[in-house]
Amino acid sequence: MKRRLGLIALALAAVALAVAAAMIRGASPDSASAASHREAPLISYTPAEDLTDVFMFRSYEAGNQDTVVMLMNVNPFSEPSGAPNYYNFDPNATYTFNVDNNTDGLADIRFEVNFTTEIRGVVRALGLPFAYAALPPITALDGAGSEGLGLRQKYTVRMITQPGRGRPGGLLSGTQDRFAVPSNVGPRTMPNYPNLASQGIYQLGGNVRVFAGQRQDPFYIDLGGVFDTLNLARNPPLLSPAEDAAEKNAFGVDALSGFNVSTIALEVPASLLTGDGLGSAATAQPAIGMYASVSKFLAGVQGAGSGRGVGAFTQTNRMANPLVNELVIGTVDKDRWNSVTPDQDLQFAQYVLNPRLATAFELLGLPGTGCVPAVGVVNLLPGAQAAQCSKTNRIDLVNALLKYNPADAAPTGDFLRLNLKLPVTTPLASQNRLGVAAGDLGGFPNGRRPKDDVVDLAIRLVGGPAYFTARAGDGINVDDFQLPATFPFLATPSDGINRVHLDRRDPVFAPPPFLGGP
Amino acid sequence: MTRRLALAGTVAALAATVFLLGGALSPAEEAQPAPLASSNAVAEQSLEGFRVGDTPALVRRLQAVLRSRPDDIDSLSALGFAYLQRARETGDPGYYPKAEAALRRTLTLRPGNALATSGLGSLALSRHRFREALRLGRRARALAPKTAANWGIVGDALVELGRHKEAFRAFDAMVRLDPDLPSYARISYARELLGRPGAAVRPMQAAVDASGFEPEPYAWTKVQLGKLFWSMGKTEAAAREYRGALTFFPGYVYALDALAQSEAAQGRYGRAVRLAKRAAEAMPLPQMITTLADTYWASGQRRLARQQYGVMDAIARLLKANGVRADLDLALFDVDHGIRLPRALAAARRAHRERPSLDGDDVLAWALARNDKCGEALHYSKRSLRLGTRDALKFFHRGMIERCLGRESNSRAWFSKALRQNPHFSLRWAPVARRYAR
Repeated sequence: MKRRLGLIALALAAVALAVAAAMIRGASPDSASAASHREAPLISYTPAEDLTDVFMFRSYEAGNQDTVVMLMNVNPFSEPSGAPNYYNFDPNATYTFNVDNNTDGLADIRFEVNFTTEIRGVVRALGLPFAYAALPPITALDGAGSEGLGLRQKYTVRMITQPGRGRPGGLLSGTQDRFAVPSNVGPRTMPNYPNLASQGIYQLGGNVRVFAGQRQDPFYIDLGGVFDTLNLARNPPLLSPAEDAAEKNAFGVDALSGFNVSTIALEVPASLLTGDGLGSAATAQPAIGMYASVSKFLAGVQGAGSGRGVGAFTQTNRMANPLVNELVIGTVDKDRWNSVTPDQDLQFAQYVLNPRLATAFELLGLPGTGCVPAVGVVNLLPGAQAAQCSKTNRIDLVNALLKYNPADAAPTGDFLRLNLKLPVTTPLASQNRLGVAAGDLGGFPNGRRPKDDVVDLAIRLVGGPAYFTARAGDGINVDDFQLPATFPFLATPSDGINRVHLDRRDPVFAPPPFLGGP
Repeated sequence: MTRRLALAGTVAALAATVFLLGGALSPAEEAQPAPLASSNAVAEQSLEGFRVGDTPALVRRLQAVLRSRPDDIDSLSALGFAYLQRARETGDPGYYPKAEAALRRTLTLRPGNALATSGLGSLALSRHRFREALRLGRRARALAPKTAANWGIVGDALVELGRHKEAFRAFDAMVRLDPDLPSYARISYARELLGRPGAAVRPMQAAVDASGFEPEPYAWTKVQLGKLFWSMGKTEAAAREYRGALTFFPGYVYALDALAQSEAAQGRYGRAVRLAKRAAEAMPLPQMITTLADTYWASGQRRLARQQYGVMDAIARLLKANGVRADLDLALFDVDHGIRLPRALAAARRAHRERPSLDGDDVLAWALARNDKCGEALHYSKRSLRLGTRDALKFFHRGMIERCLGRESNSRAWFSKALRQNPHFSLRWAPVARRYAR
């Protein structure tokens, strides 16, 4: 989710991408004839590998509470009108959910998703220069009604387990085609998008459900304000008790309003994940850690990957806890952080122990920062405070981000951690955006649900007790779209002609009513 | 990506440039002072409304910005790249001096600017000035060692200078820095040069997949993949890729040109001539003129074929006037068509000094052979095949040299080898190979 910052120039994103694509990747083709050289394009940008958010929670859908839902989002800031090619997954990438089920900080189970792309249909027959066309309207992902889908992606889902664990594993997606749900082009091309999208939910082997395709970006944040060193719409950015408790925005706007992302969603029976193979009620190993990663096909001339086969893969991106790479890891180490596995995270501990964001808060004249005391719940929160915890030695943050249990001798790395024994908060309306900090044990940092306000929580956790007391936050408490309570738990994306990007100059937007919904 | 993150609030201005140039430069490496905040607005203005294929509009906007702020280095370097892209789109070498002026001025205003240095490296490659490209690429790489593109410039130049080991090391470093279309395509090309066309298919397919299905990169990679199949004698697979490119990018000149060769090779001359004419009219580069001339010639229209020789002369002058070194292409054309052979040999020798690549070796060998200097020709032919490249045209040239040296059975073996590799390797010479192979 490196995107948050990079795309500060919001208005530029779409056009800039077009420029980058047209102008730079634009080839400089020379002939392959004897007397010339071939000058391939030199520069690239790959948003489809750019993870924006990762979620993990026990399903709050009726009857499915013994399953764990994992989501990863890519394609930051997908502008719904981004014709003609819209947004796809990267066929050269492997998208992986990495699950640790024995708290040793190493992945025990991986779910790998791979895409292929085909150019097809009416679009091809007519030679139209578009990936999608309205001829005829697109009402299906395959067969009749899918003719207008000029560019279509299929995918496979593979479960990989450590040898000897006796798990089913293997190719969960079977031999049938599984289609990614295309971008929401608009009502003429896709007259019933929710119906089209629902065709993209597949039941796989092992009772796993999967969805891959476009969704509304569930992240809500006054992006520009937060990254302009907390230059928020209220100064100082503090909420009243009533504002803090309300499911509406206190000030500012959701800078991600009207933008979409591409989502891969998995719903997996808890018993498929746990170390002892038991469900959430019975398992003796309820702590599950997860991070998402994107790895890229790597071929070489002479060294590794120079063989003829699939070649090697190299990890280009990973994410677990929100905002870690954005707000915590120093600029010079961001790429390296992305390329390693969480068991290597100890090298980055100094960034966590002495967070620059906290320094920035104090420079702004905000309340003094400090350690967050033990909240006294579960093993997933800042634990019993070590005496030596201080502003420049934030053991509490290490405990929160990098450990399963504060008592653990060494950090295990950045994982999103979920305790399967803790109750699911249902219905959706009863979930508290502040999660565990507000007594809602089903929310962040016990996993992360789409509704959780990780921005306010990050500000308060990094700031310390005074920030909790004063209710610091970005003023954005709720997404611009209403979240659905069913798989894949993210809302129908904005279409290309009805999207609304909110602006600070607009009147304060306080849903409900929402701009859109499931 | 993290590189974009590094921009943070204070350097938002740079974001525009980085996007514009697709991240040619990692901001972390950009040691220069952050651009003025106002240049963000400037860049924004420039980019507003820009769409794929609308480089002329971008050029106009950047020019307008520079009229009021002549020292805005972001706009200036962007303009340099925009001119390079215009040259790619139109084939008009007149854009090269303009690109050079913009990039050089950027360097004058900000000496040691990695982006402009990189741009000049690309420009030198486009002008086939490979020693210069190597120098510039290395300078850019020293300024921005984590920028994959700079390794690409260095590698490309080294390939053309015949220094393949170093070149392939650069490509390997490049793909590790940024496994994407540019590096995949180079890995594929390297494997092809090493005589492993089968192993070159997967990375070129990866390059297609990495195109983001934007018309031009998609079409470019599809054509490259098609030519790879073509070089393996897989005529149908090649034509499929060319047509795929045209589906997504109707009128794409390089696909028209490739498809013309494919149609002509299968005896469909009417279609071939129509395609080749469209390509040559849209972008009169040596490659397109050669195809058109050979298509006319193969279809028996010798007079029309010869008319193209004059066109080629005019193009040669135009390229030279804009700083492009096209000796190799022009020498090959003259040698192939039996025009002014001694002059062509001199040009081939000159080209070889500048560009001792496998192709440089091959063209020189062929020019020597056609001037009855077959002993010396053999030396260069062996050089041109020293990596084990499976290139039917190079096999054919070797066959002609062996024949000229009176080594009949050797020569027949090379002709057969050429035809086995690709029975349609040349409109002009494949029939000759068939005749002599018997």
